[in-house]
Amino acid sequence: MAYQVEEDRGFSIVLLTGDVDLSCSPDARKTILDCLGSKKNTLVDLSNVTYIDSSGVASLVEGYQTAKKKNLKFGLVGVSGPAMSVLELARLNKVFPIYATVEECVNTDG
Amino acid sequence: MADQAVGDFRQSIESLGRSTVEFVEEFGYYLALTFESFYWVVAGPLKRQPVRFRAAVSQMVETGIAALPIVFILSFAIGVMLAIQGAHTLKQFGAETQVVLGIALSVTREFGPLITGILVAGRTGSALAARVGTMQVNQEIDALRVMGINPVRYLVSPVMLAMLLMMPCITLFSDLAAMLGGAVYCNLDLGLGYVAYWDQGTSFITPNDVLQGLLKSVIFAVIITLIGVSNGFSVTGGAEGVGRATTRAVVLAISYIVLADMTFTYFLNR
Amino acid sequence: MDQDYAIRVENLVTHYGPRKILDGVNLAIKPSEINIIMGGSGSGKSTLLRHMLGLHTPTSGSIILLGKDIARISAAQLHDLRTNMGVSFQGGALISSMTVGENVELPLREHTNLDDSTIGIMARMKLEVVNLGGFENLMPAQLSGGMIKRAALARAIVMDPKMLFFDEPSAGLDPVVASELDDLILKLRDSMQMTIVVVTHELESAFKIADRIIVLDHGKILLAGSVEEVRNSKIERVQDLLNRRSRHEEIDAEAYMDRLTGGTATLQS
Repeated sequence: MAYQVEEDRGFSIVLLTGDVDLSCSPDARKTILDCLGSKKNTLVDLSNVTYIDSSGVASLVEGYQTAKKKNLKFGLVGVSGPAMSVLELARLNKVFPIYATVEECVNTDG
Repeated sequence: MADQAVGDFRQSIESLGRSTVEFVEEFGYYLALTFESFYWVVAGPLKRQPVRFRAAVSQMVETGIAALPIVFILSFAIGVMLAIQGAHTLKQFGAETQVVLGIALSVTREFGPLITGILVAGRTGSALAARVGTMQVNQEIDALRVMGINPVRYLVSPVMLAMLLMMPCITLFSDLAAMLGGAVYCNLDLGLGYVAYWDQGTSFITPNDVLQGLLKSVIFAVIITLIGVSNGFSVTGGAEGVGRATTRAVVLAISYIVLADMTFTYFLNR
Repeated sequence: MDQDYAIRVENLVTHYGPRKILDGVNLAIKPSEINIIMGGSGSGKSTLLRHMLGLHTPTSGSIILLGKDIARISAAQLHDLRTNMGVSFQGGALISSMTVGENVELPLREHTNLDDSTIGIMARMKLEVVNLGGFENLMPAQLSGGMIKRAALARAIVMDPKMLFFDEPSAGLDPVVASELDDLILKLRDSMQMTIVVVTHELESAFKIADRIIVLDHGKILLAGSVEEVRNSKIERVQDLLNRRSRHEEIDAEAYMDRLTGGTATLQS
């Protein structure tokens, strides 16, 4: 897995790439929680994710919950097919705010 | 007729051979189990599969703390009995003041560890066999194995650790309780003061006597754990099998404890 | 070659004492498929499952999981392999001294260094998947049979294993609960691409979820094929199983009467 963080119109965008599994989900979790810790609205871009396991999804859940506590925005962007089917398994696709693109999120916000 | 006798003889030799093989097999299994449970205590953390110390602690509470009342009562009673018998016997030589020596020595070297061993075999040995046996019947042991959790590390090592630490402690407690029992009798019957009793007792026994008892208790700890656990692992046939294993574990553990005690005493006092 | 199959069983033979339980079983199971092993009691299906789980050593033959022969790999490799296997036993086999939540968390606690909060979320997520959300603080003894099986399934899938083994999922369950469990198994194949092996004697459930059915009888594979192939099979023994017929044998009147009378009584003529 590779990840990078970009700043875009007041959002921190965490771009995850490749397989998000046990070996790297702690990194993903830390990155997401760090963004939220510095009081940034955070989006996680999953468009390049080829596989995500439940530890990865758990990090997203924790991000969602942390954002809510801090009154920040948290959402998923461009969820790839494999990622979506894992979210659907636990019906999380109905819980996370999911956007097609960053623009869509910014626009709904406006 | 002669053929019959030869046949009988051969059969009894055969069955002797078979039971010898079974005994050696079982003994080998006990050795392997002991080795494996210690192996995990040492090597577990290195392989990132540590022994559960929390389980060991709760086992210590269950084996040790919870057993204290009954250990106290029985040890106290043994102390009183030793005092009565000792005083009675020594009276014939007019040496009843020497009773303290008899009590102190037999308690620390013999009765403290023995009564503790028998009690713990009855309480913890049976509980172990029942617990592991029930897990075996419910396929919980299989479940642990397929989850990649070694059942010996998970179930046996914590118990072994707890028993090794607790048995000497309970034995020491038992020693004190039995000495107290003897003191109370001596005080009431012979008018021996508690302080005098204590001084006499402690001047007779050497650290070596106490250590001998504690060493025995460590061996009993291993016996109880091994027999309890191995009988649990070998349960077949549902709830009834668990009952059988529990009974067998207690009877075997007590027998082995008494035999080990005798052997030990024999070799240590030659 | 190995990668084409998640599980291969080659020439498996097993004896229990003098009895031959498995007699040359060959099997190849493709990834992301649901394979049902079917057969009457005594057909050897449970033994076959125990072999695949590495709980029994066969007399001869080999079992290859994800390209690794489980009889020939080191303990450490087997340990790794097992983190890729989920197993749900017939009676659930939840550790009875732990809560449902602790049971589901157990593999994560033993095999990962994840944060406590992550482990908690993962376990509760899997409980949600099996519709047991909010039950994590109950003890196994407080659950019904169907709930225990679902909790066991949650524990089996908590590590997102590549292979899932299921022993008699619907045994002892009412039809509604059994069918929910079937749907769940289908969902796991589709969204997690799991290779699933189910041992069962329930025809209805087998036909509903199977990609392939393997029919075992007296330690041998009678037939391995699609649902249609099994339904249309001309093999008599397969049809007997499908129609729940026991083999009709000619009754030997004398032997039968002997059995009824215990063999010793003489019947008055």
